[in-house]
Amino acid sequence: MRAFAYEEPRTLAEAGALMARPGRNQLLAGGTDLLVRLKRREWTVDTVINLKRIAGLRGVEARGDHVFVGPLTTLDELAASELVAKRWPILVETVHEMGSPQVRAMSTAGGNLCNASPAADLAPPLLCLDATMKVWGLRGERHVPLREFFLGPGKTALEPGEILTEIRIPPALAKGCFIKFCTRRAMDLAFVSVACAAVGKDVRLALGAVAPTPIRVLPSVEEAMKRCAPIDDVRASAEYRREMVRVLVRRALARVAS
Amino acid sequence: MKSVGQRVPKLDAADKATGKSRYVQDLRLPGMLEAKILRSQVPHGRIVSIDVTEAWKVPGVRAVLTAKDIPAKVWGYSKDQVALKGDRVRRIGDELAAVAAPDIEAATEACERIKVVIEPLPAVYGMEAALAPGAPLLHAARGSNLVQTHLYEHGRIEEAFSKAAKIVEGTFVLPAQQHGCLGPAGAIAEWDANGRLTMHDPTQIPFLVQRDLAEALDISPADLRIVQPCIGGAFGARLDLYPHEAIVALLAKKTGTPVRILFSRDEDFQTDPVRPRTIVRLRTAAAADGTLLGRDADILVDCGAYVSWGAMTPVVMVNTFGNFYHCPAARYRARTVCTNTQPTGAFRGFGNPELLFPMETQMDELARALKMDPIDFRLKNANRAEETTPAGGHITSCGFKEVLEAVRTRLKRPAAPAAPHLKRGIGVAAVFHVGGGARIYRSDGCGATVKVDDFGKVVVVVGATDIGQGMETAMAQIAAEELGVDVSMVRVATQADTDIRLWDVGVHASRTTFIAGNAVRLAAKEARKQIEDARAALKLPADAPLDKVVRAEHFRQKGRLITASVFYDPPTSMVDKANHGNVSAAYTWGCHGAEVEVDTETGQVVVKRIVAAHDIGRAINPMHAEGQVEGGVIQGLGYAMFEECVLKDGRMQNGYFLDYRMPGIRDIPEIETVLVETNDPEGPFGAKGIGEPPIVPIGPAIANAIADATGVRMREFPMTPERVWRALRGNR
Ligand SMILES: Cc1cc2nc3c(=O)[nH]c(=O)nc-3n(C[C@H](O)[C@H](O)[C@H](O)COP(=O)(O)OP(=O)(O)OC[C@H]3O[C@@H](n4cnc5c(N)ncnc54)[C@H](O)[C@@H]3O)c2cc1C
Repeated sequence: MRAFAYEEPRTLAEAGALMARPGRNQLLAGGTDLLVRLKRREWTVDTVINLKRIAGLRGVEARGDHVFVGPLTTLDELAASELVAKRWPILVETVHEMGSPQVRAMSTAGGNLCNASPAADLAPPLLCLDATMKVWGLRGERHVPLREFFLGPGKTALEPGEILTEIRIPPALAKGCFIKFCTRRAMDLAFVSVACAAVGKDVRLALGAVAPTPIRVLPSVEEAMKRCAPIDDVRASAEYRREMVRVLVRRALARVAS
Repeated sequence: MKSVGQRVPKLDAADKATGKSRYVQDLRLPGMLEAKILRSQVPHGRIVSIDVTEAWKVPGVRAVLTAKDIPAKVWGYSKDQVALKGDRVRRIGDELAAVAAPDIEAATEACERIKVVIEPLPAVYGMEAALAPGAPLLHAARGSNLVQTHLYEHGRIEEAFSKAAKIVEGTFVLPAQQHGCLGPAGAIAEWDANGRLTMHDPTQIPFLVQRDLAEALDISPADLRIVQPCIGGAFGARLDLYPHEAIVALLAKKTGTPVRILFSRDEDFQTDPVRPRTIVRLRTAAAADGTLLGRDADILVDCGAYVSWGAMTPVVMVNTFGNFYHCPAARYRARTVCTNTQPTGAFRGFGNPELLFPMETQMDELARALKMDPIDFRLKNANRAEETTPAGGHITSCGFKEVLEAVRTRLKRPAAPAAPHLKRGIGVAAVFHVGGGARIYRSDGCGATVKVDDFGKVVVVVGATDIGQGMETAMAQIAAEELGVDVSMVRVATQADTDIRLWDVGVHASRTTFIAGNAVRLAAKEARKQIEDARAALKLPADAPLDKVVRAEHFRQKGRLITASVFYDPPTSMVDKANHGNVSAAYTWGCHGAEVEVDTETGQVVVKRIVAAHDIGRAINPMHAEGQVEGGVIQGLGYAMFEECVLKDGRMQNGYFLDYRMPGIRDIPEIETVLVETNDPEGPFGAKGIGEPPIVPIGPAIANAIADATGVRMREFPMTPERVWRALRGNR
């Protein structure tokens, strides 16, 4: 790992100012994606800016017409939230498929989304739940629907210096399922993932790891097959991934319908 | 017995669990520098120039070495290896230059500033391509990429196949497997003012490194001392001399300061002497009544870019090929081949998993074709005690029948699954392995000293190496038993170096409990005799405590200390030119049963349950023996289901634990271990080796269970969901 400066701002304004400094500056949440990249020398950064000292970015609570999920909420905290368990058991199920106890204790919901891996596990269920991302920057605040947040592998709608400050979820209850398909039964990345949720009569479907970003698709096998665009890589072939989309979407839809 | 057979916890467990054990990663010597190696990113090429000018500009850099700064010595198994490459690179990862600096960041930075120009040459990766006429040559002096051809034959092979009722055949493909030791490779070198070198080196072969490293450095082996820190796993990965060991010694010499090299995890993946890629073409023939008639194999084994222990795997395979089961005719050809890939080495099981996947698959296919129960079919052809095989193996104790029956009674056919896309099945596979050492080197011996001090403390100094397998505890139990003392009174001097310890060939071939155990037992016996003689001579009562007898013998005129040294070398021979011979003083059998559930729509296989029965002669420590069995099963499960080095243009695509998958706790099924004790006549207290056998039969047992569930035969590892899915669709 190359040497870098390390900062612990107390406010968003301080963080924003640090981000505006010349050079490559990178935000740190749990560090479970960032540190791997730094150690493998995939990234060289000048300053690492830890967000954990900034108040108000962590926790889950009902706020008026929506539920606030702080981006620094750890995966463990997300799954332990009664509010989440009651409304969206699919999120609890998803977290239980992620990483290991150590990783879940460190890593954050915001980090998972901002890292923008096509295989980020929280993305498909949150796409089904119509989550919106509240973003803060030196030029002001804005809201970006999660469906428009992912632009490509590792690329989000965040402008340079912008910070995710809230994952906002509409309060409606959902029943659903998350199928993570991978080789090992834990500590693995999906080569296909499928989230399916019914909000009232509205059935929603999202896919992970089969397109440059996680995608929300119309809830049918045909639509899923039409929209997915998997690649061949070291984890699986495109052909296999496509066929697994067919099998797993059918299973997910059947499970939610029953 | 009071010590042998007891479930004594590992003597080093508390230190390991509390972080007190010192690995090479924990050691720091005063003034120590850190080393980094610059490696080739070109799989095959001619080195045009290496310019190190910029590297020297990094603050703190103390040494930068390239080939022209070091002795021009070739070394290694086939004398084709050098520490730093000067004219040719033959794989991605080849060593081009090395830097020593006060910290790893500076050393890494300096390496990155070295300018290397390499003119690429055509490279070759597959073994068949490497043998094709006109293939790019890795080592021109050899004239071909073929390293060696190993032949073996007994009986009349053509006749056996011509009269067979059933013949099965197939081609089996096995991947390169990484050891993935918790502790990546590393070493520390320091020279004293008299020009003597001390290496702190977690090697499996301290006494062979003493010779080989001296040769590579062009110094006398008498000026070299090897100290082994605690070893963070090995499994065969530390069974040879590797370039980094010579490089760190050269850097230490150049700087006059201790130098340490530690591999990062990425580097460990890139340089690990992997289990060789292997292709096995096998035919097996049987008569209608289930009598085996013949087997015929043609095998390719990948050495990688340089010849190391990977090239020896055919010698181990042929032992099983010629000895296992009553098979009246057998023919074997194995060729070792160089390719522009990572050099291959020894890996737990050493060829036996590669060979027994094909052999035990075909045993299952034949049983099915002949409508016989697979266990009955194996029993009909099973080896027995007190027989000599056509290959010259002499079988003493034999628990083959017992292990087969143990699996038969414990492996039950599961109930049908609820969903139509799920299929369940069971399968078995057996293993034959050396259990009393393996004479693949001129000596298969080990020396041990046992001393009893004035306080009744027993110290065992043994040549053997603990790589986590529990050598220390087993030796303590054996010495305690022989001397009639409590295990808590015994210390095994695991930190002792090559100046102090007596010679041992190294830790491999499941040999340590058997060979070192015999040495320790004999030394302890001799020490006990000295004590009893003293007791009699000094007319001490029979119940006088041990320490009192020792003191009485010590503190008198012409006193004597209680100490005994023994060298045990087993009664075996190396194989002759035709690969016949009795290489081991005992052989061992095992059988695994597997229950699987296959998702026929996705190809996902869940291994539900494993029964693992092993003839171990005697369990010196049943708890550790079970640990060896479980560890072997898990590592074999990884080989069969998950692990492979995926290469693209000679570069490993998955050199990190995310995509190089080893089984995690949730992938590990319930394992029921059965230890069968046959009390081997030559083994210490009847014990035979158990280190390697458990890694061998798990893969074919699972493959046979998949065939039982689905009717589809898997002939390639790892049996990933995608591979199984393709096989279920007729390999589309
Ligand atoms: C062993 C292991 C297993 C894993 N298993 C899984 C798994 O099963 N499924 C899965 O999806 N992932 C997995 N991951 C990846 C990782 O743990 C998750 O993506 C995690 O949620 C990332 O969160 P973090 O807080 O650690 O992110 P960090 O590493 O701190 O940050 C990730 C990226 O997001 C940026 N960032 C973080 N917070 C913000 C913010 N508030 N605003 C703007 N940018 C921000 C950072 O700058 C960085 O680029 C695994 C990782 C490891 C090491």
